[in-house]
Amino acid sequence: MSQYLFIQSQDPFTESRTRHQFDLIGQLHEAGHDVSVLLVQNGVTPARRGARTGSFDRLLDWGVPVLADTFSLEQREIDDADLKDNIGLSSLHVVIDAMLANGKVIWH
Amino acid sequence: MSHPRTLTFAFMEPPFESERTITFFRLLDAALDRDVGVRVFAYEGAVALTFARQQPHGNAVHGRDSAEEAHPLTKDWVQALQEKARARTVGFEWINCGLCVDERGVNDVIEGCGRGGPPDLWRYATDARNTLTIGTR
Repeated sequence: MSQYLFIQSQDPFTESRTRHQFDLIGQLHEAGHDVSVLLVQNGVTPARRGARTGSFDRLLDWGVPVLADTFSLEQREIDDADLKDNIGLSSLHVVIDAMLANGKVIWH
Repeated sequence: MSHPRTLTFAFMEPPFESERTITFFRLLDAALDRDVGVRVFAYEGAVALTFARQQPHGNAVHGRDSAEEAHPLTKDWVQALQEKARARTVGFEWINCGLCVDERGVNDVIEGCGRGGPPDLWRYATDARNTLTIGTR
């Protein structure tokens, strides 16, 4: 089992490739790997409650850990209360910690 | 020799174009917060991040002069990270891809940043605890 941290910077409303990115994350999760996601930049937009993105919401339904970068949220005036359930808050330090733990950190 | 507390970052985004540049610098800053040594291999447009002749400018539309505008320059951010690394006694190395530098004519770089090529990225990645590549898309 490998540890993956995906840094999701692209948003599904302007980048059609994100569907495939979310599919890949889901497939790795289903295969039993330790997969988590950090949303940054416009990648935080599907985290807003009411945003309709099936491929992203499936990851939440499956229990894939999803974090959102607080700086990116603040830039877009998205409050904690605006987020869908099961999305945590984080700084970018989680990336450094994952790299130090020899995780596979992948930029999307 | 392996460096268990050193991380390598490969980055290709030019300055002043994308939010990725901000996130990249924030990642370097976060690494230094963890007292981790940082090595950067800059290629393609990212070689201009350390261009010494970057100049701030005013904003005539908003009636602000250069000082009031306080336009951020990436060369200053790199210098700030160099200083932070020195204060925390961790390494901070930066190599620009020489071919990419020549293509863009940005040979005049700030102190502490070197010139190299893909073998340096290989060396950086081989020696480091881990490597993150940030693509343009």
